[in-house]
Amino acid sequence: MDTAHIRNFSIIAHIDHGKSTLADRLIEYTGALSAREMENQVLDQMELERERGITIKAQAVRLEYKAQNGEEYMLNLIDTPGHVDFTYEVSRSLAACEGALLVVDATQGIEAQTLANVYLALEHDLEIIVVINKIDLPSADPEKVKHEIEEVIGLDASDAILVSAKTGLGIPDVLEAIVRKIPPPRTNPAEPLRALIFDSHFDPYKGVIAYVRIMDGSIRPGMKVKTMASDKVFEVTDVGVFRPALRNVDELGPGQVGFLAASVKNVKDTRVGDTITDATRPAAQPLTGYRKITPMVFCGLYTVDSVDYEALRDALEKLQLNDASLVFEPETSVALGFGFRCGFLGLLHMDVIKERLEREYDLSLITTAPNVIYKVYKTDGEVLRIDNPAHLPSPQEIEHVEEPYVKATVIVPNEFVGAVMELSQEKRGEYKDMKYLDTTRVMLTYHLPLSEIIYDYFDRLKSSTRGYASLDYELTDYQESSLVKLDILLNGEPVDALSVIVHRDRAQYRGRLLVEKLRGIIPRQMFEIPVQAAIGNKVVARETVRAMRKDVLAKCYGGDITRKRKLLEKQKEGKKRMKQVGSVEIPQEAFMAVLKID
Amino acid sequence: MIDTLGVYIHIPFCRKKCFYCDFPSYAGLETIFADYAAALCREIDRRSGLFSACRVDTVFFGGGTPTLLPVKTLASILETLQRRFPVLSDAEISIEGNPGTIDRETLRALRSAGFNRISIGVQSFSDRVLQAVGRIHTGRQAVQAVLAAQAAGFNNISIDLMYGLPGQTLQDVSSSLQQAVDLPVSHVSVYGLKVEEETPLEAALAAGRVTLPEEDDELAMYELATQFLPDHGYLRYEISNYAQSGKECRHNLKYWRYQPYIGFGAAACSFFGDERLTNTTDVREYIAKVNADKSPVAMKERIEKDTAIAEYVFLALRTAEGIRFAEFVRRFHVDFPSYYTEEIETLLQQQLIYATPDGIGLTLLGMRFGNRVFAAFLPKKDK
Repeated sequence: MDTAHIRNFSIIAHIDHGKSTLADRLIEYTGALSAREMENQVLDQMELERERGITIKAQAVRLEYKAQNGEEYMLNLIDTPGHVDFTYEVSRSLAACEGALLVVDATQGIEAQTLANVYLALEHDLEIIVVINKIDLPSADPEKVKHEIEEVIGLDASDAILVSAKTGLGIPDVLEAIVRKIPPPRTNPAEPLRALIFDSHFDPYKGVIAYVRIMDGSIRPGMKVKTMASDKVFEVTDVGVFRPALRNVDELGPGQVGFLAASVKNVKDTRVGDTITDATRPAAQPLTGYRKITPMVFCGLYTVDSVDYEALRDALEKLQLNDASLVFEPETSVALGFGFRCGFLGLLHMDVIKERLEREYDLSLITTAPNVIYKVYKTDGEVLRIDNPAHLPSPQEIEHVEEPYVKATVIVPNEFVGAVMELSQEKRGEYKDMKYLDTTRVMLTYHLPLSEIIYDYFDRLKSSTRGYASLDYELTDYQESSLVKLDILLNGEPVDALSVIVHRDRAQYRGRLLVEKLRGIIPRQMFEIPVQAAIGNKVVARETVRAMRKDVLAKCYGGDITRKRKLLEKQKEGKKRMKQVGSVEIPQEAFMAVLKID
Repeated sequence: MIDTLGVYIHIPFCRKKCFYCDFPSYAGLETIFADYAAALCREIDRRSGLFSACRVDTVFFGGGTPTLLPVKTLASILETLQRRFPVLSDAEISIEGNPGTIDRETLRALRSAGFNRISIGVQSFSDRVLQAVGRIHTGRQAVQAVLAAQAAGFNNISIDLMYGLPGQTLQDVSSSLQQAVDLPVSHVSVYGLKVEEETPLEAALAAGRVTLPEEDDELAMYELATQFLPDHGYLRYEISNYAQSGKECRHNLKYWRYQPYIGFGAAACSFFGDERLTNTTDVREYIAKVNADKSPVAMKERIEKDTAIAEYVFLALRTAEGIRFAEFVRRFHVDFPSYYTEEIETLLQQQLIYATPDGIGLTLLGMRFGNRVFAAFLPKKDK
C-alpha cells in the first residue's frame, strides 16, 4: 500500500476518560474483530489491566477503513497508557505516529494528564484531533470543555468531534477526521531501511517480538537486519501486523506499523528506541529515539521464603523482557536476606510489577518502603547516589544531602484550592503558579520533593479534594534538604529493611506514627517486643507489643483430630507469610507500613 | 494387626445447652431417646463383624450427657456391646455425667451395670459462675454427685473444671481446685474456656452482656491449676489432664497415643488402620440411616503417612510421656531426630521442648505454647 493511504495515530487521554473504550469502538467499527470476538478493553490483554480498568502496556492494532471518498486506508492505532507512571510508554508510542486523538471527558474537562500528554504530542509534532467523549451523559458540557481546551492548551477546538464511545455515537466522524487531518507518513523511498522499535515482548518460541514503525524502506522475512545502537545482526524470521492478534505478512512497507521476529534471545539486543536497518545496506543515521526511561522509585523485593530467591530472579528477568523500564540488582538485607533493589517509574508501576510477580509467578513477596534516589555529598568529596536508606553513610561522613524535586501540576475545582495549598505546604512544596482554567477549575503548580509524592501526597490529595484533584508531575532538579535516617528497632535490634529517610522536622512525628502502626501489625509473640524509632542513637518513639499469654488447644480427643489438625495447618500457613527477623516474626505488610501510615 | 481396641459411644443429648458449647449435642430430643438407643445397638451389631479379632480394653460413653438416658437403656447398650465385642473383664468402662442428672440410685445402677469410671462435668463449684454459663446444676449438687458416686462404689472418679469463664475470678478457681482435691476424686481435667463460633456465649460477648477475665488473670488461673494439682498428688499426664498415679484415663490415652478406636452413634469417630470415619452429626439422619441398613458415616478420611506422622506428633506431645523415638521408628520406620533435625533444634532453642536420648516432650513453656510446637511438625508440604 502506498504511504498516502496510511495513517498512524495514538489515543491520548487522562485516566478514565474513555480511551480504551474508544479504541474498542474503532476496532469494532472497522471490523478488525467481529462482534463475537469483541470484548471490552480489547487491547488491555493483561488480567491486571482489565481488573483495574487501566492500560499498562502499549498495544497496537491495524484497522482497514474505507473512507467516504471511496478509498481504502490502513489505520495503525497505537494504544497508550494514561497513568502518570507510564508517560514514557506514551512518549515512545507517539514517536511512531503522525497524529493523536486527544480524548477529553465531556463531564470532567481537562485533567492533569491530559495536559502532560498533549505536551508530549506537541513535542513530537503530532497533528492533534480533539475528541470530546461521554457526551451521552446528562452532565456533559462539551462547550465548556472546548473552551478549556482553547484557553489552557491553545488548540483550536471549534471542530472538536463529539462522541460517545460507549454508545458508538460519532465514531464515523473520528475515522474521517483521522483520514483527513492526520498527515500520511513522510518517507524517503531512496533511503535504506530504518525502523523504530517502539515496544517489544518476549515470545517463548520466536524470541523477542519487536514492535516497529517503518520510517524508510521495507522489511521482509529472510532479510539480514542490524540494530544500530546495540550493533547486532539478525535474520528476520517473521514480519506481521496487529489485527490485534499477531498476523504474519510478507512485507512491512514504508510508513507501516507491525512487528518483526528474528530469533532474538536477549531483549537487550533489540532495545526499545533503537533503530533497525538493513545489514547489507545500512542507513547512515539512526532515528532519533526518545527520552530515556529513568526509574524514579526504588524498593527492595524479597521472598518470604528464602528458597524462592532464584525464582524471583527468574521472574524479574522474564518481566523485564516485556518491560524495559523495570530495573533491578541484587541486594542483601540483614533482616530479609537476599533480594533485589528494583527501580520503577512510579508507585502504580511498582504495584503492578509486584502483583504480577505474585500472581503470574506464584511468589510470596515482601516489599520494602519505596524510596527516591538521594545524592549524598560526603565530607571527603565523594558523591553517592543512595536508593536504599540502609546505605546512607553515618551523619559525620555527610557534608549534605540532596533530594529530587518535581514540578507537580494539580487540577482541582476552586473550592479545594485551600486544601491543596495546605497539603502542598505541609509536604514541603513551594508554590509556583495558579491558573483558572474556567470560572470553577484551577490549575496549581508546585515544586515538591518527589519523596513526598511517593509517600502519601497523592492519596491525601485525593481524599482532601473528594477525589476531584488530578495530578501530574515531572522530575525537575535536585535540592539540598535536611534529611535524617529514621531507624526502627524491634526487640532492641535495628531492622534495616524498615529504615526510612525523612526530613529532620518530621522525623519524630513519623517515628511515632510508625511505631504505633507496627505495634498494631506485629502479632503478639511469646515475649514482649519493644518497638522503637531512633535517629542515630536517640530513641524518639517507643511502643510495646505485649506478650501472648497462651497458645494451645485445650482439648483434643478422637472426634476433634481432623479439625484440630486443620486449625494448626492454618496457623502454620499464617506463619509462612511472616519473616523471622532475629527472634521476632514480622508479617509482610509491616514492611509496607512504613509507606502508608494513616 | 489390631489387637486391642477402644470403643466410644456418643450420646448426643443434653437437658439444656451450655452457653459455650459447640459440641454435637442437642436439647429437647427426649422423644427419640429410645429410637436412638435402638439405632446405637443396631450399629454396634452391624459393625461388630469387622472387629471380631479385637479385644476391647476401654469403653467410653460420652456426650452430651449420657446420664440423661435411663440407666436401663445405658445398661442395655453396654450389654449389646459386650455381647458383640470381646470386652475384657478388666476393661476401663467410663461414662460422663452431669451433676444435675445423677443421684445415688442412678449411680448404683450404673456401677452394677458394669461402669467402673465416671467423669462428672463440674466446671466450677461456684454457683455464680455456673449460672453465668448456663449450667443446670449448683456447686452443692456437684459435691453431692461426687460423694454419691463414691458411695455407689466408683473408685475412679474424674471431674472436669474450667477456667477463664465469664465473671470467674482467680479466687473462684482456687477454691474449686481446693474442693476438687478435698473430694474423693482421682482425676481432674482442667480446660480453658474457648469462645467457639456461633455459640450463645459468642453472641453475649459481642453484645457486651458478659465479659471474660483479663488475659493476665486467665493465665494466672491456668498457672495455678498446673501447680496446685501436681502439688496435691495429681500428675499432669496431658496438657489439660491430671490424675493420681494409675488413674489416668486409659481410653483418652488411646487418642493421644494414636491407637485404634471405634465410635458408635451420631458424630462418633472411628480410627483404625489409615482411616478415620465420622458419623453424621444429625441425630435423626443417623437413626434413619442405621435403620435402613445404610452407613451413617458422613466423612471418610484416608490418612496419608505424612499426615499420620504429624498427627501422631501433635497428639503424643500433648502427653507427659511425649514422643519416644523407639516407638516412632516402630510405627513409621522413620528416625525422628534426623527427620525433624531443624524443627527440634529451633524448638529446643526456644525452650518449648526438652530432649533426652530416647525422646522429646513439651516443657512447661511448651505446654503453654503447644500450638507453636504442633504446627512446627506439620507435613512439610511443597505447593
